[in-house]
Amino acid sequence: MLIYLPIAGLSVNMFIIFGMGGAVGFLSGLFGVGGGFLLTPLLIFSGIPPVVSIATVASQIVASSSSAALSYWRRRMIDMKLALVLMLSGAVGTLLGVVVFNALRQLGQLDLIISICYVTFLGLIGTLMLRESVRSMINSRKGRPAPLRRAAQHNWVHRLPFKMRFKRSKLYVSAIPVVALGFGIGFLGALLGIGGGFILVPALIYLLRVPTNVVIGTSLIQIVATMSIATMLHAYSSQTVDIVLALILMVGGVIGAQFGVRVGQNIRGDQLRALLALLVLAVGIRFLIGLVTPPDERYSLTILTGGAL
Amino acid sequence: MAILAGVFGLVAGSAAAETLTIALSTAEIKVNSTFSGETVTLFGVIERDAATVSRNTDYEIAVVLRGPPQDVIERRKDRIAMVWVNSASETIVAAPSFYALDTSGELAEISTPPILARNEIGFDSIDFQYKGRDGADDPVATEFRDAFVRLKKNAGLYSEQPAGVSFIGGTDDVFQAAMWIPANAPDGEYTVEVFLFSGNALLAREEGRLHITKVGFEQLMYSSAHNHALLYGLACVLLALFTGWLAGVIFRRD
Repeated sequence: MLIYLPIAGLSVNMFIIFGMGGAVGFLSGLFGVGGGFLLTPLLIFSGIPPVVSIATVASQIVASSSSAALSYWRRRMIDMKLALVLMLSGAVGTLLGVVVFNALRQLGQLDLIISICYVTFLGLIGTLMLRESVRSMINSRKGRPAPLRRAAQHNWVHRLPFKMRFKRSKLYVSAIPVVALGFGIGFLGALLGIGGGFILVPALIYLLRVPTNVVIGTSLIQIVATMSIATMLHAYSSQTVDIVLALILMVGGVIGAQFGVRVGQNIRGDQLRALLALLVLAVGIRFLIGLVTPPDERYSLTILTGGAL
Repeated sequence: MAILAGVFGLVAGSAAAETLTIALSTAEIKVNSTFSGETVTLFGVIERDAATVSRNTDYEIAVVLRGPPQDVIERRKDRIAMVWVNSASETIVAAPSFYALDTSGELAEISTPPILARNEIGFDSIDFQYKGRDGADDPVATEFRDAFVRLKKNAGLYSEQPAGVSFIGGTDDVFQAAMWIPANAPDGEYTVEVFLFSGNALLAREEGRLHITKVGFEQLMYSSAHNHALLYGLACVLLALFTGWLAGVIFRRD
């Protein structure tokens, strides 16, 4: 069934888009990630303009993260003070991200920068994840216990000034890394159409030593806030949020996530992480191929006045 | 045939030569979400009076349908350090967003290049204005112009139909042209120009109008996204939060 996307300005098969939302939702439920870094590329590869993909996925992330955030809220598994600092710095980062997004768009270099960022991030994170999961698989096969993480030990981050006390996390750390983290995630989220949970969660655990019982809920709150702001700003400054596309993705996503969670409970963690790593690497390689292969059509048109192409 | 001319047609021309009377099958097209394109038929009559000289060459007709003008940035990718990057760019001012040419024969047999160029009949004759460039002789402008026409043709927005105009029922003075309006045709005011030629000479010219309006839910969304951007953004966020909340309620397991 063809459905017309008013902002993207093209007709798409509704079931294909719904299926994409569902598939990414399934994976996000399976792996416990937001899925923006998979959904945005998938939309771009299927022909939706990158500007529309990024802005629209921001609103889809709000939907998929808010339902999980709500359940953590009910169980009081959130450090509100930490979330507030992350949110405020995230809002500033998001604002700057949207400004850079629009500037790059005017220069005609947005697609290029997006591709380069995706290749870099996905390549880096995919490689790290793959290495870690393969190592833990080898360890468990040889019957060695997984090396214990020295979670209690302090690192250089804890020697920075401007310390703040976060009671819920039982932390007394400098505000600098917290603000930098919130800002960076907000900036990347607005620019690339990702929630950033796959960066934020490990950073909170390994860098700041935030206890694992509040880390997911706190990062979800931050993601809901910054992606809501990103949606508003994209809609306001460039009119690129497609509400029809967003709704199809949201519904597909929340349904797919339910199945993903159930399947995920029956698969071993290290195998799951290796699978996710391969997936992340595949998406990164796809972007790399797009950058270096000669394009079929070297010319492109951008309409300045008077509607869609 | 005068009946056909009655509703939308306009009558014009000089007293001595032929005059053209045209009528479109519709003056307005409403594009909704299920719109997959539509044919607009143009009817025309060549009228002669007693003073008109008899001609020993056939009549030829050219019909140009033009969409509203658009300013467009055209970019070219070049290879810079292994990577394909948008490098060169040109801005075209007020290029026709849509251009369909229907003729009764090959352009070369209808008239001479100078006359075609003066009336902007045919892709080669469209007067593209490149910002900061002189036009026809500039090799860069020519290169970008060819690419622009190719992209527009591929998008179905530019077309040339050498057999698009046919004379009805063996007559030599009543003709029709079926013009295809694709689903992606931009909305706005379109102009139809009809040219009458004989023996390469332009005898008469007539103009009509066609309006394309987008209607329905999708148009409402498009216009609110542009005219009430902040409210639209807020609506998107609320929709997302509501969907998330609803999913939480439906699939709640704790």
